[in-house]
Amino acid sequence: MPSLMILIPLFGVIILNLVFAVNSRMKKAAFWLALAIFSLQVVVAVFHHPALWNDSLGRIDSFLNVSFFVDHLSFIMFICIGMVSIASLFVARYGMKDEDDIFKFINLLIMASIGMSGIVMVKDIFSLYVFMEITAVSSFLLIAFPRSLESLEGSFKYLILSSIATVLMLTSIGILFLAAGGTDFDAIAAAIGASYENALVLAAIGLFICGLFIKGGLVPFHGWLPDAYTAAPAPVSVLLAGVVTKSAGIYTMIRITTSLLPHYQSVNNILMLVGTISIFAGALAAIGQDNFKRMLAYSSISQMGYIILGLGTGTILGIAGAVFHLLNHSIFKSLLFVNSAAVEKEIGTSDMNRMGGISQKMPVTGTTSVIAFLSTCGIPPLSGFWSKVIIVIALWQAGQYAYASLAIIASIITLAYFLSMQRRVFFGKLRAGLENLKDAEGGVLTVSVVLAALTIGIGIFFPFVFNTLILPVKEILVR
Amino acid sequence: MTANVIFYPIIVPLVTALALLVTPKKMKWGKEIVAIAGTALNLLLAIALFKSNIYFSAPWSGFGIDFSLKLYQFSSFIILAAAGFAFLITLYSTASLFNKDYAKPFYVYLALSLLMVNGAVLADNLVLMLFFWEGLLVTLFGMITIGNKHAFKTATKAFIIVGISDLFMMVGIALVAYLGGTITISQINLTTAGLGGLAFIFLIIGAISKAGSMPFHSWIPDAAIDAPLPFMAILPASLEKLLGIYFLARISLDMFELNVHSWASTTLMVVGAITILLAVMMALVQKDYKRLLSYHAISQVGYMILGIGTLVPVGIVGGLFHMINHAMYKSCLFLTGGSVEKQAGTTDLAKLGGIAKSMPVTFICFIIAAASISGVPPFNGFFSKELVYDGALERGMIFYVAAILGSFLTAASFLKLGHAAFLGKKQGNAEVKEAPMRMLIPMITIASLCVLFGLWNALPLNNLIQPILGKRLEGHNFSGLPTNALLVIATVVVLALALLNHIYGVKKTGKALKATDHIRYAPLLGHLYDMAEKRFFDPYNIGLDIVNFFAKIAAWFDRAIDWVYNILVVNAANLVTGLIKRLHTGNYGSYIIWSLASAAVILIFLIRAI
Repeated sequence: MPSLMILIPLFGVIILNLVFAVNSRMKKAAFWLALAIFSLQVVVAVFHHPALWNDSLGRIDSFLNVSFFVDHLSFIMFICIGMVSIASLFVARYGMKDEDDIFKFINLLIMASIGMSGIVMVKDIFSLYVFMEITAVSSFLLIAFPRSLESLEGSFKYLILSSIATVLMLTSIGILFLAAGGTDFDAIAAAIGASYENALVLAAIGLFICGLFIKGGLVPFHGWLPDAYTAAPAPVSVLLAGVVTKSAGIYTMIRITTSLLPHYQSVNNILMLVGTISIFAGALAAIGQDNFKRMLAYSSISQMGYIILGLGTGTILGIAGAVFHLLNHSIFKSLLFVNSAAVEKEIGTSDMNRMGGISQKMPVTGTTSVIAFLSTCGIPPLSGFWSKVIIVIALWQAGQYAYASLAIIASIITLAYFLSMQRRVFFGKLRAGLENLKDAEGGVLTVSVVLAALTIGIGIFFPFVFNTLILPVKEILVR
Repeated sequence: MTANVIFYPIIVPLVTALALLVTPKKMKWGKEIVAIAGTALNLLLAIALFKSNIYFSAPWSGFGIDFSLKLYQFSSFIILAAAGFAFLITLYSTASLFNKDYAKPFYVYLALSLLMVNGAVLADNLVLMLFFWEGLLVTLFGMITIGNKHAFKTATKAFIIVGISDLFMMVGIALVAYLGGTITISQINLTTAGLGGLAFIFLIIGAISKAGSMPFHSWIPDAAIDAPLPFMAILPASLEKLLGIYFLARISLDMFELNVHSWASTTLMVVGAITILLAVMMALVQKDYKRLLSYHAISQVGYMILGIGTLVPVGIVGGLFHMINHAMYKSCLFLTGGSVEKQAGTTDLAKLGGIAKSMPVTFICFIIAAASISGVPPFNGFFSKELVYDGALERGMIFYVAAILGSFLTAASFLKLGHAAFLGKKQGNAEVKEAPMRMLIPMITIASLCVLFGLWNALPLNNLIQPILGKRLEGHNFSGLPTNALLVIATVVVLALALLNHIYGVKKTGKALKATDHIRYAPLLGHLYDMAEKRFFDPYNIGLDIVNFFAKIAAWFDRAIDWVYNILVVNAANLVTGLIKRLHTGNYGSYIIWSLASAAVILIFLIRAI
């Protein structure tokens, strides 16, 4: 069954281009096909019935010569991927004028989601690299979609840095393949365990981690990220911030460290240090930004830092907190990018100096943004509060008192830049020239409201969500 | 009579206050009728209860805090006096506050004050008494705030001063409970040894500050200007004096066993003597009718404290007699002040003068009350002061000299006041008429009582004062003419000297208002006066300075914290942010260098161990 998560969207892309490409009416319907595919993905991931997932499909499975497996971490990632893709889909329909553009965008979006679905299901390191490249290539194209100078520049930077990551990871894979004689996770884990003190193996581990840092956009490997997020068209920003960096960088980091390098204190130390640097550098850089999307991009870096910091504890609670924050962040950050898309579309710019008091004219966008801000800053009872609290508690229990304190202090900086942004953009006096401002169209508003409701809902029903969805993730450590 | 009657002095004012609150605004005379009816009913009740003995006690909130009320000779006397003043001043207020928009709250507060006084006087449990005692502070605050635009500040001042001294009293009560094991007043029997002395002092502070003694006096002159006038007549002049001195007498006569030559007695006498002198010195130089009276309201408390502090029978009787006399003539004086203010439009002595002819009744009442306060025979003040002198002399010449000197200055200041306000040349063109009847009746009533209590002093002494002391007075009777002829002669001589002083002052300066200037600007004394007028000696202002000092330190500290948060942290964050922004040039080459350099560092870190 897991192979269907790849095969169905792949089949969908083929059908799209064979059947739906014939005339403009059919092209419009492509939106619904994509929506159906992503919705199906979310539904099967949420109600992950074992009978459905564990069935082997015989010949169908053999279409792809890759062995897949799924666990609870994969399900959470599926939910994120599906949800954010849907949000991106709605934003694309709202933001893009040309039907052909939308059609092409949908093709690329499905391709990217295939890549991400692959990432979260593979269990050998080379297939991981392949799916990562599928995602990356689709992302390059998506960022460059408007074919403007700015977007090409952003795409180019991502391409360059990504290539470096590719080089690092491929080198690492080569070394590990030499050491283990295979690329399967289990084989590599055994090899690493055996040659603990081999400099080459250690170098391979370091190179792989660095590659993932680049993919995840963590400081100081983050250079491409603000430019790419800002230059990308609105729906792509949603996708990039919501899932692409998360599945390619953060999820993989979680998978690699838990499967290949459990209890490897040096790696954990690197993770915590890089996480903390990211938290502070991202948050401090966010304070100085004038561009709405750029600020959100730096905020993303900062929040990725929290996830990596939680992961660095190496404890069950810390990893659970990291995964929980990953889920929450993908919800509220894509909400913020959806809203930024609405603001950008209605006002015509994402320069915060030309905004002000727009909550009066865009009440839904304003309100949901405030909810997302507060959740990001970790204000109870919103979802972000719980995941941050869990990370801080995990750090404390692991004896990392300094990191725990820093994580709390950084929350204040988060609050500072979001409050100042809130005042500049949403609250205060309506800026002259914005009198005729209208709120975004229904589809996007619905997405905003649903995501905001999820942020509140996860916060309020935190024990239920945490126990049923997040905590089973601990199996990845126990294994 | 059932024991429930004892609740009526509390219930009647309460019902009056509630009825006043629901009296419709549109009803003409509505609030006046309710207020007069309520206070009249209270007066009748007080007359009916007079000299009856009732005791009521019910468990209330545990820990020995019972709801105990005790009606006996002393408390029934205070309730009667309070009821009389409340009735007369309400009657007076119906005229003087007519058409004032704060009339209704004034009546409500007056009724509530009456409730609190009655409750505090009846209470036989210290905590219960404290409840009513503090309630009076609340109504005091409320009554001052409804005055002019500075009133709120003055009200706060009064509240803080009285509140702080009440705090002392609370500690005193706690000490009493700790030492004596009971807070039922009639069961307390302590000495002033050790902690008991501390408890005594704390309780005394509460009592004399309620009576308005120094150094807890400084809100009274301010309130005289800022608060509605009938307030001065009802609270600082009469009800608070009655309550404060009542409690002082209870403390020093019933609750504590004091010896005549104990330090406690001497302390009280010193406080009394100082209060007499300092306050009257200030009164002497006042240039406002009401403010001058208010200083006398402080000064006269000194006589009562001095009298009770002697702890000899004649002194105690004199102090208590002076308490009731003072309440009468001082409220009468304030009422004349109110008439003058209403009719002439001002109480500034510089703008008054020559109104005696147009306000003859007010003038006569003023003369009687002023003569009483100055101790001119045969008015009531003369007899009570003679008793106090007698007691003071028995304890020491110095106290007597202080008292008689106070008398001299009192007389001098009232000569000045009467001369400047009522006699002399007429100021301004406005035609001044006599006050309306409703204001005259209370003044006449009180003035005639002053005469009656003087001429027939056996009536109050034998019926009101002496029975309170019971056994202590065995074989004594202080009614009738003073026994010590020498003291009487001395008093008369002093009064004559005061008159001569006044004539000298008027001759020297040519103006009645400046009759005391030779004292005001005397060498050294003038300097002290200057400082006093700048409120240099006001304990409240000194306290404020101290508090301000600490507030400034706290504010600096606060600024420092603010600076850390608002300047340091923000600037530091901006600095770092600026640095980070400058690093992000958008040049992918540098981004690549960062990544590769960091990767190198990480590799070195991982491999370093080997």
